[in-house]
Amino acid sequence: SFFASEPAAEFDFKGYLLRKAASVNRALDLAVPPQLHPKLMHEAMRYSLLAAGGKRIRPILCIAACEIVGGAEAFAMPPACAVEMVHTTSLMHDDLPWMDNDDLRRGQPSCHRAYGEPLAVLAGDALLFLSYRHLADMDNYPSGVPPALILRATTELSRSIGAEGLAAGQVLDMESTGVNKPIDVDRLESIHLHKTAALLEGSVAIGGIIGGGSDGEIERLRCYARCIGLLFQVVDDILDVTKSSQELGKTAAKDLASDKTTYPKLLGMERSRELAEELLRDAESQLEDFDPAKAAPLLHLANYIAYRQK
Amino acid sequence: QPPLHSSFDLRAYWTSMISQIEADLDAAIPVAYPDQIYEAMRYSVLADGAKRAAPIMCIATCELVGGDRSTSFPTACALEMIHSASLIHDDLPCMDAAPLRRAYPSNHTVFGIGLALLAGDALFPLAFRHIVGRTPNSLVPPEAVLRVIVEIARTVGSTGMAAGQMLDILPAVGNEQTDVMTVLEKKFGKMAECSAVCGGLLGGAGKVEIEALKRYGKALGVLYEVVDDILLEEKRGIWSNGQSGKMRSNASVVMALGMERAMEIVGELKEKAKNEINVFGDKYGDRVLPLYSFVDYAVERGFVVEST
Repeated sequence: SFFASEPAAEFDFKGYLLRKAASVNRALDLAVPPQLHPKLMHEAMRYSLLAAGGKRIRPILCIAACEIVGGAEAFAMPPACAVEMVHTTSLMHDDLPWMDNDDLRRGQPSCHRAYGEPLAVLAGDALLFLSYRHLADMDNYPSGVPPALILRATTELSRSIGAEGLAAGQVLDMESTGVNKPIDVDRLESIHLHKTAALLEGSVAIGGIIGGGSDGEIERLRCYARCIGLLFQVVDDILDVTKSSQELGKTAAKDLASDKTTYPKLLGMERSRELAEELLRDAESQLEDFDPAKAAPLLHLANYIAYRQK
Repeated sequence: QPPLHSSFDLRAYWTSMISQIEADLDAAIPVAYPDQIYEAMRYSVLADGAKRAAPIMCIATCELVGGDRSTSFPTACALEMIHSASLIHDDLPCMDAAPLRRAYPSNHTVFGIGLALLAGDALFPLAFRHIVGRTPNSLVPPEAVLRVIVEIARTVGSTGMAAGQMLDILPAVGNEQTDVMTVLEKKFGKMAECSAVCGGLLGGAGKVEIEALKRYGKALGVLYEVVDDILLEEKRGIWSNGQSGKMRSNASVVMALGMERAMEIVGELKEKAKNEINVFGDKYGDRVLPLYSFVDYAVERGFVVEST
C-alpha cells in the first residue's frame, strides 16, 4: 500500500462488495442464458462476461449510487448488468491484435485467443446490444420505475461509451501508442477521462437517475466518478511497474515494454502517488453532503480503488 | 391481382425522403474531438449509393398505421446508423474481408482496422441516443420509445444479425444446424423486419398489426437478398468472375439450393409478403401502396435509387 494509513473499517466493506458482486453475477448469469442458439456465440459472451469474474466495480458503483440517493438495489440491477456488459465489450474489442493486442484478460486467454477474432468482434457487439436490451426492457424493473428515467439512463449509457466517451478514449489511446511525439500530462488525463472515467461516470449517473436522485446529487456523483476514474488509472500505472503478471492476472510491465505513456513515466513514482492521494481526497469530498451511512459504500470504493494490489 | 402499384410512384416516394434522411444523418454526426472517429463514422453513414431502405421502410409503416412522419424519422436515421455500423464490422478482414463496399473502399481500407472497429462501436450507441433525443415526446410515449430500443437491440443481437453473421462466416463451427435460409433470415431478414416493426410501434400500431408487419418485413428482407443472389449469379454467368462490387460471404441460395429452387422461393416470398399486407388493405386503403410497391421493387428492381 502506498498510503500512510487506510480508513477506519466500521463499515463491512468486504462483505458489501461480496454481496453486491454475488447479486450482480446472479443477474448477469440469468441475462445470458447458455442454451440460446447459436451456442458458440453465447458461449463466447458468457466466457468473457462470467467465466473469468472481474471485480464488478462498475455495476457496484451503479447500485451504490442508486442507494446513496435513496433507491433500492432492485431498481439499479438492470443498469448495473448493462454497464458490466458494455465494459466487457470494450475489453473484448480492446484486446484484439490490431488494438492493444492482449492475450491475457482477467487471468485467462482473452476472447479472441479462446474463440477467434470474428467471435471476439461479434460476441462483443452482441453484449453491447444485450446491454441496451436489458437496460431498456421495463419488464426487468420492479413496478414504479418511471419509463422516462429509463430513457434518460439509456442516453447516459450512450454518452459514456460512444464517440465522446469510451470509444474516443480508445482512439486517443491508440494514436498515442508508439508515436515519437511525447505526450503531456493533459493529454494523458484526456485519454483516461474518456477511456476509463467516462463509463465509471456513466455507471454512477445511471444509478443516481434510476434511484430518483436530484440534478445536484447526480452532478456530485459525476465528479466523484471522474476522480476515481483517474485514480483507478494512476494506480493501474503504478501497479504495472511494481507487480508481476501473476499477481495482476494480466501482462505486467506491458506499458513499459510498449512505450506507452504512464503517470510514473511522466511524473515519477513519488508525484504519481501524491496525485493518487489528491484524487482520493477530491473524490471523498464529493460525498460530504450525503448521509454518511448511505455514503459509506462509495467512500470505501474510492479507498478500495486507491489501495488495491491488482 | 389488381395493379395497385401502378397508381403509386415508389421512386418519387423513396427519393423524396432520402435527402431529408441524409440531412438528418449529416447533422447527427458533427465532427468533434477526436476528429478521426467522427470522420470514420461519417464516411460509412453518409456514403454515396446507400439506398436507405431500412429508414424508408420504418417511415412507410409508421405512416401506414396513421403515425405522423416526424415520429419515425429519428428511428429511421438510427436504423441507418446501425445498418452502417454492422456493415463496417462485417467488412473487417477477420469477417467478410471486403476491401470494397458499394464500389468504394470499405471503412477499414481507408481508416485502418482499429478505427473501423471503434467507429462501429460508437455508431451503435449514437443510434440509440438519436432515438431517445430526437423522437418528439409530445407524440410518442416513453414506453413506446423503450420498446423500439428493445426491438432494435434484439434485432442486431446474439440471436439476430450478429448470429447471422457468425453462421455465415463460420458455418461449420460448433455443430450448428445451419441452412442457407436461416442465415439469410438472420443476416438480412431481421433488419427489414425490425424497420417495419419500429415504424409500427412509433405509429401506434396494435399487437396484431405489429405481428403482421413483422412477418411482412422478414419476408421482404429475405426476398430482396434472394433476388440479389440470383442477379449476382446471372452477372457471374455473363462476366464469369462475379465482380459485382458487393462482397458477399458464404450464404448463397443459388449455390446452396440451385437456381430453380431460388426462383420458387422468390415466388413464395413475394406472395407471403403481399398476403401479409392484405390485412391492412380494408382499414388503411391506399396507404398500403408503398408496402405493396416495396415487394415489386424487391423482385423487379425497376429503377435505381439515388438521392435527388
